[in-house]
Amino acid sequence: MSTKEKKTMENRQPLDFVDKIIHEPARLNIMAFLYVIESADFLFLMRQTGLTFGNLSAHMSKLEDVGYIQIKKEFLGKKPHTMLSLTKKGRTAFEEYRKKMKQFFNDMPQ
Amino acid sequence: MNLKEIEKKAYRFTFTDGIYDLTYATLLIMIALAPILRELIGLSYILFLVIPAPLLLLLGKRYISIPRIGLVKFNQHRKTTQKKLAIICIILIPLTVILLLLTAAEIFPGSYGTLLGVYTVPIGAALFAIALLSLIAYFIEFSHLYVYGLTIGLGILISELLHDPVASPWNSVIAFGIPGTLLFIYGIIELVRFIRTYPLPKEENSNVN
Repeated sequence: MSTKEKKTMENRQPLDFVDKIIHEPARLNIMAFLYVIESADFLFLMRQTGLTFGNLSAHMSKLEDVGYIQIKKEFLGKKPHTMLSLTKKGRTAFEEYRKKMKQFFNDMPQ
Repeated sequence: MNLKEIEKKAYRFTFTDGIYDLTYATLLIMIALAPILRELIGLSYILFLVIPAPLLLLLGKRYISIPRIGLVKFNQHRKTTQKKLAIICIILIPLTVILLLLTAAEIFPGSYGTLLGVYTVPIGAALFAIALLSLIAYFIEFSHLYVYGLTIGLGILISELLHDPVASPWNSVIAFGIPGTLLFIYGIIELVRFIRTYPLPKEENSNVN
């Protein structure tokens, strides 16, 4: 590692490397949940995360904007139904986030 | 963050509505009433064994559970497990039915000579039913199925034990009807608790686009 790189590392805030979109607790909860399943509808996510409709909606919009989740329309009988799932990008981002956080805590001095 | 635990929690959540307990209880009650129904309506009694329980499960999930907790599709691991389970059921369920039919027709004449022999087939059928349902319980991680296995297994045994002191059809009513009714009451309590905990969402929240 060069001296310049060392200085940059020293000046960095401890969690600079973390994906801020995922790091927010409610969104982390949503991402973790969507990571372990194939897909779920909005209501199931509301029940699992304990978020209100407005809150969940706002977080989902943010995750959709960065391309972490996809919305798929399906039919349940004759009714249209919206299923949500992680995109490949979202899955990779979540894995990366986990890896970095693990590393961060492992590297933390005792 | 334990991802396995998150997945398990979500999976178990889909079983909290009491509908599986009600479905199985209905099946037990129908088995209990089968001898009476057979006397009353002949072979058509089989319809009562085959239709009410699956219908209750289907309608309960469709009109009570899904509108309250929504819909989820689990990952590949669960799908693989379900495929394994389907293969087990395809092999073992017809085998169970054949064994029960052979038992009913008293095809094993050698075993009826001794006191132990009388109970060999019911004990075998009971153990088989318990083992089958326990295996399914293990694969789908739904612990209530162990209880279901015990109720049907003990039901077969008790029904056989009561055959002489209590005439048919009452041996069947006691052996399957009592656990069936208890399980039905438990299912109703669970369902009421579920409906209270998860009321129907307001229209604008239920179908987000």
